[in-house]
Amino acid sequence: MSSRRSRSRQSGVTRISDDQMADLVYKLQQLLPEIRHRRSDKVSAAKILQETCNYIRNLHREVDNLSGRLAELLESTDGESAEAAVIRSLLV
Amino acid sequence: MNHHVPGFQELEEECSILDSSGFSRPKRLLPTGEEDIMELLWRNGQVVVQRSTKRGGEIEVPAEHLTVRGIRSTAEEQHLFMQEDEMASWLQYPIDDSSFDRDLYADLMDSAAPPPPPPPFQAPVTAIAPPRSVPEIRPHPAPSPPIALQAQKPEFSPRFQNFVHFSRHPCRQSIEPISKPLATVARESTVVESNETPAVGRESRTSLVDFRTQTNTDRGAAALNAPGTSAGKLAAGTYELTVSSSPGGSGSSFSASRKPHRQTRKRTPAGERKRKIREADDNECRSEENDYEEDETKRQGHLLTASSSKRSRAAEVHNLSERRRRDRINEKMKALQQLIPRCNKTDKASMLDEAIEYLKSLQLQVQMMSSMGCGMVPVMYPGMQRFMPAMGMGMGMGMGMGMDMGMNRPMLPYPSMQLPGSGQPNQASPAPHMGAGFHIPTFHLPPVLPVPDSSRIQAVSSMADPMLNSLVSPDPNQPRMPNFVYPYQQFPAGLQQASQLPLPQNQAAAQPNTSKQTGNMENQPSAGRK
Repeated sequence: MSSRRSRSRQSGVTRISDDQMADLVYKLQQLLPEIRHRRSDKVSAAKILQETCNYIRNLHREVDNLSGRLAELLESTDGESAEAAVIRSLLV
Repeated sequence: MNHHVPGFQELEEECSILDSSGFSRPKRLLPTGEEDIMELLWRNGQVVVQRSTKRGGEIEVPAEHLTVRGIRSTAEEQHLFMQEDEMASWLQYPIDDSSFDRDLYADLMDSAAPPPPPPPFQAPVTAIAPPRSVPEIRPHPAPSPPIALQAQKPEFSPRFQNFVHFSRHPCRQSIEPISKPLATVARESTVVESNETPAVGRESRTSLVDFRTQTNTDRGAAALNAPGTSAGKLAAGTYELTVSSSPGGSGSSFSASRKPHRQTRKRTPAGERKRKIREADDNECRSEENDYEEDETKRQGHLLTASSSKRSRAAEVHNLSERRRRDRINEKMKALQQLIPRCNKTDKASMLDEAIEYLKSLQLQVQMMSSMGCGMVPVMYPGMQRFMPAMGMGMGMGMGMGMDMGMNRPMLPYPSMQLPGSGQPNQASPAPHMGAGFHIPTFHLPPVLPVPDSSRIQAVSSMADPMLNSLVSPDPNQPRMPNFVYPYQQFPAGLQQASQLPLPQNQAAAQPNTSKQTGNMENQPSAGRK
């Protein structure tokens, strides 16, 4: 672990313990739908990070889609209804 | 029969047999003790023996001369037989190869005039004599080193014949058949298939050299293996002589490396040899090439010991791979940072923390949006405030409060930070929002505002509690869904209810905070978003 810390030093990153990293990576893994079930102890951090990026992009896309649909829905509703307000609130 | 294990010197001696001086002598060990390397080269259509030590003096040994010398002696006949013995063992393995060998031996056996130029290989059928001898020899598959040595001699003659034959065939090809039996021995030592074959094209380096190098140990078996396979290959016309062998080319380097290579060869285990020999089938002269390559690899290790060099190389490789892995991770972290909005963290840990939160908020948002049709309003917990649009701040705050309180703790700082800033907000601002009832939950937050940052978390939880309580109490008939749902569920059902809720709450809570905080919260995200 000291090696890891030293490495982090070299990389210019503040020292973070291995456990910390592992914990964060694990949390990320839990959030990711695909990897979550894989339960393999050795899911590389790179892979998790990659999956996270992909997942976030997917979520972005979905948010955009949903926003579009919400916008359409909003148009269908009366502009002052509660639902409209809600929808508007949802929309970015 | 001499069953002593011939040393290198012996091998060399044997090789020296080719030397012009040694022709007249039985091909057996010549007490020359020279360390020079004898090479059977194919030049100008005939075999030439070239001694490494005496570069200047290329001894051109006519094939016939060699064969005659080496074979005719009666004493040598025994050797021949012994060699045949060895050869037999070779022959046992590959059948088709044996045909070739038989031919060779047939010539030997006959002790007739030097084998005619006609390709002996092409006359596998003629292997009449050899078959007799071969079967005899077969029973003695175990070739002793001396036999191997001796066997090499007779092989020479057939090889020479082959060489003559070679004159008609491309050097490569010709070399294969001959050197195969010999080369097989040589190949043993080196894993690398000698790439010398290409170089051999110019000068056919017979496996004579192989003899020298290989004959140390029970190459006979190995050699036997080789011939069979090599012969087969030869028949197949496959000349992978240089296929896998390193491009190095060989010639001079070969001879130069021969010595050290030989030594290394000696160390190679027999099994390894056999394996290599089979591989080396294609490379007749590969033995030399093997030497060369092996030497090359060894050269690197010569600086250090072989093992230490390997270790250092392994460590280097490990470092490189480790570095690559870290680079990959860093690169992914950067990409992640790009995706996360308003991420100004530089250290990995905090960045990952933010990534986790953002991911959660995104998931929530998507879930909410997708479930809009169900009448449920998406909830954004406090932590999401950073990522939520300004408009929805109030809602988000309220909605998300009850959703995942536990999870919100880390996120609390976000809203909390803003909350204190709100101070005593002007109540006017929230008014418009209050009408919508969006800020029901937010109203509860204000009470917490004054709480110092240190107790943010507690405040948030406390904020959530009152909110929850407030939310739940007014709508007992409402499904006990997560608190965040309540405020919005009220909207479709009865806006007035919602509006009523905040009113009392406003009175109860620090009204100014609500408006202010919403304003602040909105400001914050708006600042970020807009």
